[in-house]
Amino acid sequence: MDGHGCIKQQPTPSITHLLSLPSIHQLASPHLSSHPQRVHSHICLLYRFKSSPLPQPLDGRGTPPPLSAPRHIFFAYLLSKPTRASIECPFKPKPRLPRLPAPPWAYSIAAIMSIGGSDLDRAITQLRACRPIPENQVRELCYKARELLIEEGNVVGVDAPVTICGDIHGQFHDLMELFRVGGDVPDTNYLFMGDFVDRGFYSLESFLLLLCLKVRYPDRITLIRGNHESRQITTVYGFYDECLRKYGSANVWRYCCEVFDYLALGALVTGAATSLTPTDGPIAENTQSMDIPDADCDIEIETLNANGEIMYRYARNSDAHSNAASATNSNPASSSPIGPTPSNTGPAGTGATSSANGSSKNETGAVLCVHGGLSPLIDSIDKIRLLDRKQEVPHEGAMCDLLWSDPDEIDGWGLSPRGAGFLFGADIVKHFNHRNDLSLIARAHQLVMEGFKEMFESTIVTVWSAPNYCYRCGNVAAILELGEDGSNAGYVRRSNGERGGGGGGLYGPGPTGRGWVLGSNVGPNGNAIGENRRLSSVLGDSIGRPRDGPGRRYRVFEAAPQDSRGMPAKKPVAEYFL
Amino acid sequence: MAAREIPDIKTLLASRRGGSTRARGRGFGRGGPGASREGSETIKDSAVRGTDQDAAGSRVSCVELGYLDDVYASLFATQASTRRLPLLNRGTYVRTSAIDQLVNCFLNTHPSSPKQIISLGAGTDTRYFRLCDAYPSTSIRYHEVDFPTNTAAKLNSIRRHAQLSNKLPLSTHPLPSPQSESYHSPTYNLHALDLRSLATTTTPSPETPSSQQPPELTNLDPSLPTLILSEMCLIYLNPATVSSIIKTFTTHYLSPSTPASLILYEPILPQDAFGRTMISNLATRNIHLPTLTAYPELGDQRARLKQYGFVTGAKAVDTEFIWREWVGADEKERVAGLEMLDELEELDLLLRHYCVAWGYRDGGNGDGGDVFPTAWAHVKEQI
Repeated sequence: MDGHGCIKQQPTPSITHLLSLPSIHQLASPHLSSHPQRVHSHICLLYRFKSSPLPQPLDGRGTPPPLSAPRHIFFAYLLSKPTRASIECPFKPKPRLPRLPAPPWAYSIAAIMSIGGSDLDRAITQLRACRPIPENQVRELCYKARELLIEEGNVVGVDAPVTICGDIHGQFHDLMELFRVGGDVPDTNYLFMGDFVDRGFYSLESFLLLLCLKVRYPDRITLIRGNHESRQITTVYGFYDECLRKYGSANVWRYCCEVFDYLALGALVTGAATSLTPTDGPIAENTQSMDIPDADCDIEIETLNANGEIMYRYARNSDAHSNAASATNSNPASSSPIGPTPSNTGPAGTGATSSANGSSKNETGAVLCVHGGLSPLIDSIDKIRLLDRKQEVPHEGAMCDLLWSDPDEIDGWGLSPRGAGFLFGADIVKHFNHRNDLSLIARAHQLVMEGFKEMFESTIVTVWSAPNYCYRCGNVAAILELGEDGSNAGYVRRSNGERGGGGGGLYGPGPTGRGWVLGSNVGPNGNAIGENRRLSSVLGDSIGRPRDGPGRRYRVFEAAPQDSRGMPAKKPVAEYFL
Repeated sequence: MAAREIPDIKTLLASRRGGSTRARGRGFGRGGPGASREGSETIKDSAVRGTDQDAAGSRVSCVELGYLDDVYASLFATQASTRRLPLLNRGTYVRTSAIDQLVNCFLNTHPSSPKQIISLGAGTDTRYFRLCDAYPSTSIRYHEVDFPTNTAAKLNSIRRHAQLSNKLPLSTHPLPSPQSESYHSPTYNLHALDLRSLATTTTPSPETPSSQQPPELTNLDPSLPTLILSEMCLIYLNPATVSSIIKTFTTHYLSPSTPASLILYEPILPQDAFGRTMISNLATRNIHLPTLTAYPELGDQRARLKQYGFVTGAKAVDTEFIWREWVGADEKERVAGLEMLDELEELDLLLRHYCVAWGYRDGGNGDGGDVFPTAWAHVKEQI
């Protein structure tokens, strides 16, 4: 794209600046006019910003609106409370802060250059060392990333094998630990379910590194939006302050927020194997080897520690798994990850999902990945695809719910104590999975002490990837690996997830996965009969053909040791009541 | 499947140990072999004294955001106010309002009879000044006990702000010279002393070098119904010392027939992951909580209160319970509306790790002797 060369830094940040010029530029370009859909979305975007500017404080410091007030009023009120200069509503143009002298790293890379190729690799190297890249590089990076993300549908199609990760929250050193445990990009295909920023001390480095990797290896890493990828939330929970502190201005924060608006809302993983190829790793110290089923069983769940040692393994159809799996269930409220996996039971192959990448129906059903959860306004994945996502996370509505909701032990829908999104029960998940031909919903958003938590008979799982969250919670983190069943062989590795749009973004063949493909030697029909029988006994005979959940390998890891963090000048202090 | 290119931070760390980058200015940090015991005790003491400004800052943050109504909070805070995270504000709110509830119940029972409150490690606490506003006609004899540096700072704040000094009977009991650390009057008393000097153990420990008579506490009435408050104070001392200090109050300063009670606000559950992390995080700030492991759960807190002699009632609830059960629906809605709170799971975790425990003994001989059982009869307890 040649448009970026003419972007001029505007002296006063404004709403129009938020939009940045390329969009307007692109609108006029003949190249883009051949993509009516994209033009349409740009028009929507322009229209949105023109007609309804970003929320402004409504009622100053008056009485709070009742909780029953429309959410946008409520949120605007919350944000309207001035408590500290730097927290004040960033949307109002305000005097520019004095520029700090350029830090030494600003000179480490030629001042004017486009980010790409080896420069990109250099930026990656620098970010991997937890050093921020210069502002002009951030601008270019964010611009490139937006070009890339705008091609993605609201629901990105991702082929197994894939490693699914939950919240990161600026815990950079723990993100490096995650890559160490899960494999590096591009060797491992990653899907991050949002909340890259806020709370931790290195939101900037964490997000920019992930973004660099996305630009560098677009088909090997998928980023979807979390509720913290929002202007409003980042001003309260730290990312805005961090950018201000590290760059002396809010420009970088603004560039990043523009990228946030383009992040996909969900991902659909297809082609996951029903069974895992067992790891041949050693058995972890505290695990009874008698609890580990034979490797030639059909492995449904395997949990490994950070050293790749088996903590427990659960064979499908096994009755003896409960002992071995109890380790993860110190919390009585957490439902067992070892329960039967009836998932959904509907007629196969009818949903929108399996056509997304042109592969034939796959036995496991797809896995929907979303940051928060479901919405009462969304009963099918296609409805997610119809949303206009390129905006700040709204205060209510389907897009908000996808990023804010939580599963809970209730029937139907409930009000969320978070003030945004909803609570949803097992019946909602089972119905949604059935209707959409899903075997599992993977989501993040909630801290779980054991790193992951399967609920509702393994129809939904929470994956949490920020160990010792906020340097205070003492939790472990997990990532979820789904193996491939081989049915995607020969197909493109990735599609943009739009229906009927002719496939969409091909980013080249991309490197193929490494040699540890899970379950590739297990036929999809492995033990369908046995599965049917077992599920019949659980769910009754009226059920249709059951779908297996995918084989799930959880890698659990702890926080990178404190001393390795190379503490920032201001030592992070986890706060307590003293 | 660890990628080979990614260095294992743990291995790197081992090789970096002993590097010069770790020591950061301060002459302490790790009680190395050179550090004398005395030195490390001093460091711990100053760390504990420092916790007071931490609490003051949290209070100011809460007041500024509308959680708490306390016009005096900002007058004591020495640091510029920093906004605390929503979950900490919520926690501070729960803690303060819970103790307020218990204190209010006490003061509202037999309102015409005089009462005494002793606040241990009070620091910059504003409760006396707030109670003056809320109970202008109740006769309250208020005592605060803290390290001399803290009481001196408090006196300075009082001297600076007429809003505060107005509340003292200055005409009869003028403020002392700027150097002094104590203040005494029939209503408000600041006792500058190390609480450990009140411990009279028979076996001398490093904390209590000799078993001698505890110092006199001016104006402390031995017969008034007395409420002793410890908000994150006794937790910093050894269990034996704490026990001894309480015994000094209940048997030496107060006559055995005086109705007396103790309210504790402390962390609990040290053994789980959150608790272990808390202990190690605070240890890096040189803050140690010796009684935490001695009374890890609510049941232990109750048993402990009985052991201190508060046999008429010994109750304990965690702050998560307080938020759920003590805070009314309207108030909950008001507080929930003040800030958006995204850290729900974390808040839950945090609140479950702090408790309020209260124990009391009957006065025995009628006439107001039942003040505590009456006052707290309807306070919900966690089963």
